[in-house]
Amino acid sequence: MSEMFSNRYRVAIDVGGTFVDFVLLDEETGAITLEKQPSTPERIVDEVGAGLGRLPVRLSEVGRIFHGTTVALNTIVQEKGVKVGLLTTKGFRDVLEIGRGSRPEIYNPRYQAPHCLVPRHLRREIPGRLSASGEEVRPLELAGIDKEVEYLLEQHCEAVAICFLNSYANNQHEALAAERIRSRYPDLALAVSSELANEWREFERISTTVLNAYVQPPFKGYIESLTERLREDGYASPLALMQSNGGASEASAAASTPIKTLESGPAGGVIGACVIANAIDKKNLICFDVGGTTVDVALIERGEVVERSQTTISGRPVMGPTIDISSVGAGGGSIAWINELGVLQVGPHSAGAFPGPACFGKGGTQPTVTDCHLLLGRLDADKFLGSRMKLDVDAATAALNKVAESLGLSLQQAAHGALKIAETNMANAVRAITIERGLDPRDYALFSYGGGGGLFAAAVSEELGVNTVVVPRAPANFSAWGIVVSDYREDNSHTMVRPFVAGAFDEIVKTIKQLEQTNTDRLKQHGFTDDRIQPHIRAEIRFAGQEYTVAVPVEEQWLGNTGIFLNQVRRRFVDLHCRMYGHGDINAPLELVTLRLRSIGKVQRPALSLWPEGESSRPDSIRNTYFAASGEFTEIPVFDRDDMARNQSVDGPAIVEEWTTTTVIPPGWRCVVDPMGNLILTKHS
Amino acid sequence: MKKLDVITVEVIKNGVNAAAREMATTLVRTAYNPLLYEVQDFGLAILSPQAKTWAEAPGMTVFVGALPQTVETGIGIYGLDGFEEGDVLIANDPYTTGNHISDVSIYMPIFFEGQLLAFAASTAHWADIAGKTPGGWCSDSVDVYQEGICYTHEKLVSAGKKNDALWSIIRNNTRYPAVVLGDMQAQIAACRQGAGRIQTYCRKYGVEAVTAAMNMAIDNADRYMRQQIAAIPDGTYGAELTMDHDGVAVNERFTVALQLTVAGDTIKVSFDGASPVRSGPVNCPEYAVRSVVRAAIKGALCPQSASNEGDFIAIEFDLPKGLVVSPERPAPVDSYGYVANAAYELTMKSLAQAIPDKCVAGCATLTMPTIARVNPRDGTPFILADPIDVGNGARPYCDGPTMAINVMGDVPNSPVEVVEMRYPLRVEQFALKTDSSGHGRYRGGAGVYRDYRILEEGISLHTAFENTFDSIAKGTDGGYEGMPAQVVANPDTLDEYVIKDRGNLPFRLKAGDVISMRSGGGGGWGVPATRDPNQVVADVRDDRVSVDLARDIYRVAIDVSAGEPVLMVEETGKLRA
Repeated sequence: MSEMFSNRYRVAIDVGGTFVDFVLLDEETGAITLEKQPSTPERIVDEVGAGLGRLPVRLSEVGRIFHGTTVALNTIVQEKGVKVGLLTTKGFRDVLEIGRGSRPEIYNPRYQAPHCLVPRHLRREIPGRLSASGEEVRPLELAGIDKEVEYLLEQHCEAVAICFLNSYANNQHEALAAERIRSRYPDLALAVSSELANEWREFERISTTVLNAYVQPPFKGYIESLTERLREDGYASPLALMQSNGGASEASAAASTPIKTLESGPAGGVIGACVIANAIDKKNLICFDVGGTTVDVALIERGEVVERSQTTISGRPVMGPTIDISSVGAGGGSIAWINELGVLQVGPHSAGAFPGPACFGKGGTQPTVTDCHLLLGRLDADKFLGSRMKLDVDAATAALNKVAESLGLSLQQAAHGALKIAETNMANAVRAITIERGLDPRDYALFSYGGGGGLFAAAVSEELGVNTVVVPRAPANFSAWGIVVSDYREDNSHTMVRPFVAGAFDEIVKTIKQLEQTNTDRLKQHGFTDDRIQPHIRAEIRFAGQEYTVAVPVEEQWLGNTGIFLNQVRRRFVDLHCRMYGHGDINAPLELVTLRLRSIGKVQRPALSLWPEGESSRPDSIRNTYFAASGEFTEIPVFDRDDMARNQSVDGPAIVEEWTTTTVIPPGWRCVVDPMGNLILTKHS
Repeated sequence: MKKLDVITVEVIKNGVNAAAREMATTLVRTAYNPLLYEVQDFGLAILSPQAKTWAEAPGMTVFVGALPQTVETGIGIYGLDGFEEGDVLIANDPYTTGNHISDVSIYMPIFFEGQLLAFAASTAHWADIAGKTPGGWCSDSVDVYQEGICYTHEKLVSAGKKNDALWSIIRNNTRYPAVVLGDMQAQIAACRQGAGRIQTYCRKYGVEAVTAAMNMAIDNADRYMRQQIAAIPDGTYGAELTMDHDGVAVNERFTVALQLTVAGDTIKVSFDGASPVRSGPVNCPEYAVRSVVRAAIKGALCPQSASNEGDFIAIEFDLPKGLVVSPERPAPVDSYGYVANAAYELTMKSLAQAIPDKCVAGCATLTMPTIARVNPRDGTPFILADPIDVGNGARPYCDGPTMAINVMGDVPNSPVEVVEMRYPLRVEQFALKTDSSGHGRYRGGAGVYRDYRILEEGISLHTAFENTFDSIAKGTDGGYEGMPAQVVANPDTLDEYVIKDRGNLPFRLKAGDVISMRSGGGGGWGVPATRDPNQVVADVRDDRVSVDLARDIYRVAIDVSAGEPVLMVEETGKLRA
């Protein structure tokens, strides 16, 4: 192992919407130190520097800094990227504008797809053509490239995207074009489709490439100034960036592929959940991250993070493996309102950080989820954020009264109803990611984090039929903790549509080896040795004639024998297909579509520290709280989490409070502090 | 049962909607036919035992809207007592499903503790149904029997037991048995998925609560729709369109006409002036007509929400038998889409007379090649039905897009790379046909060029397009109409052959031939001479409008002598004075 992993301290920087979270980890003891700094978009680098400066160690003692960033995501969402020019195959410059031509709101004749990021005159066509099998039909005209790039530069394009038809089958034309442009304009930001996504479907691949080009210059600028600031402050090792696939990558290499960092922030929490899942042997988890405006849900299945191979951002498709995180507009700031049908709704609009919930007393007049929790006694008006903020019960009452009156409900009924709807929306988000795959949410435990997770976790679990909830330590900073314990990951894939028969075996094995070599080379540049690199192979297979595939994990030892390989993959595929969709013929012909290779560079896992033993603590206070089961307010005990002892058990109804989170234990639930300090809530009736 | 609170109603309604969406996911993920997995040419719904729609999934609005009649027919045949748990039924009879014979409905009763609770239903376009034209969409059939084999609500599976004889008949009455059986399995899996979810809700809330909640959801939707209708000024609004021909009597035009009479909170739809039933396959079964008219009204009045029965209670139909919009067996109906499309556009056009802000200008017509090889002696059999994007109408506030036709709902195009990998074809271009847009203050969407080079022998083509005589893509408020569709074989060669009017090629395709599909443009909105001059400059820069057109139609003077187009302000002022 190279020396950069030798220092015992590791730091994560997680930039969020309101705060930058810092976690300092001591690898030997597993002890963590938390820090927070306001998140001001224009001066993030300074905020990061300031927060790091308050950590109890010098940056020169830190072996590795991991960074979760939202720069790429925000640049796209706010449409603040640069002017991009596109070079594409002759006859196809309008593909980006036409897209898939669909109307997701099926009745809406006024449906509007997101506008095209590259105007028509900046989409330039280059003669040259490959067939679907990758053979050259017409050679690429390099002179055309020179002419068109010159035009794009005259038009003040700051980045160029290249995507040719069928380049997933053969990257030769794109490579020629890229080499030509790089040799002439070494400083021009260039995004090449075959370097980003070797998969078919031209619109999605062009979209991915253009989006990458669109954010490349600002992203690179940000990474460079952050790296420089860290160096000035004494940090000597490379910076590691969190990617959407849940692994880290070297910042210098990742700077040109910002599109791979879209889920960089929320990915940390999911990776952290995966570590805990394996540590406490609950290998099926629903990650449930409740923030101010959204709830982000993801899955850990059999100890592994569930991913998808494509996602959309602001309605624009992005190819590439990413943790399957789905966000629903239901968080602490989500507004309760009455729609045109006279029905109570919650979200997706949020009161945000300003004016915030009515009870924050910053001028908010619309009732939010947080106001409802306050009115039902689940939050203490005097103890919010460790008593840093006093909540205004009157303002919350006034805001919710308007809604309650027009529905003819009491204040409590309205508050309870709004929360019930928020819980349903959250539960439906979980259903969408589980049932869509044929998975039953009842086979999972709910892993709750983010500032608002504990208020909802048990109720949403009841809605789903889930009977275990896990609340980790410091749940509000959990994403940053996840970043600091992540490994390095390199992904590579190749679409090769072939009948899945013995004749294709040699080519499949050869391709897998090539993909693996590319990944290994990259990881070795980051200082990993062979013994620390683990390959994971997946083959995306379908019944011949079908379109959609099922990703089948392939064991490396199968690659030695044609018969074993074909039989094992077939058996596993049919098994998965039956489980997901209820049918599958073991003898039907199969087709291979895509090979995926992930290589993981293992970083030393930190020790997980144990929670202190001791006497069970007494309730800190008693609070009047409303639960639907009884339909009235009852006095329930409130425990301070920091005072609780290892293995302490508390029966609901009760509340457990800590600095930034409140966990509700409803009637019929029991909460136990496990040896590592996680709260384990189980339903016993 | 205790009275349901508003919250529980919402929870159950969301759950039932989610169940319908999960059905769609299952269908897409397991289907064999690109029309289903790429193009989403299907409709899915969950319906009450009275065949009222509880929830639906994205797909084709025309299918979803006709499913209640399909299930109602099944109930009529078997009686509510005649279903057993584990039944699966099949129907594609156009006269009881409302669609053409290629669109096959698979549906099943959902039971809970022995009680019939609901139906899960699906309609999907099958690759082939053994009519005279591979893949269906016959252009010249003279009765429904020529169009394919007809299933009339038989039980494919009876109480969990497969009806082997019927499966064998299906397998042996299609040109593409593997694809068709695969898709049928996918439809069954989708229905089972929906059924399972509804049963879960019953277990949790009880059958009565689920039923009561969905009835309340229907009442809510009905109330809202009536509010919207009440806001439309009372009166009768109408429009008509002359159609090319019926495919058999090719020298005769015919007419589709409809009127909307708004009175208080109801709309009555009548069809005075519509032609009598035609001898060729353009007749549109009345269930499909009702379905598209409703979809257009919902599209204008409450476009965002998923629909249930309640959206359509306030819409009444006066539809006498024997018209081109209400044919009776055995009239041919295989190309029913032209009239269905016309009925949608005429509804939108009529509404635009009363509530223009909620409407759009005319959308171009369905344009689709079906490219197929049937005989294995010529090579591997295949069929590609490839509906292509068209110019949609301009909106009252912006240009129209290029996308699927309105009546199709959520229907994505097929990626070129997928087409080329699967079929012996090379797509030579997929590009905007900018001259097809209807001019206006806001321009209609452009049609597209989609050119296919045929790479092997034994391949046949037939095409769907219409309205070359009287453009369906009408402009609104002074906007121009869009240009109609066209098909050209071997463009810009000595062998060039233009099909302006619907019809088939007069020669056999051979390897190397090119078929250029050119869809129509959308209608414009507002007078072109009121378009923002800077926008017109951008149009010229983007090759959407020529300098001459800019001057003649948009009244904008542009100087391109220096390469970059520049607005000539003074000159433009004079032109527009």
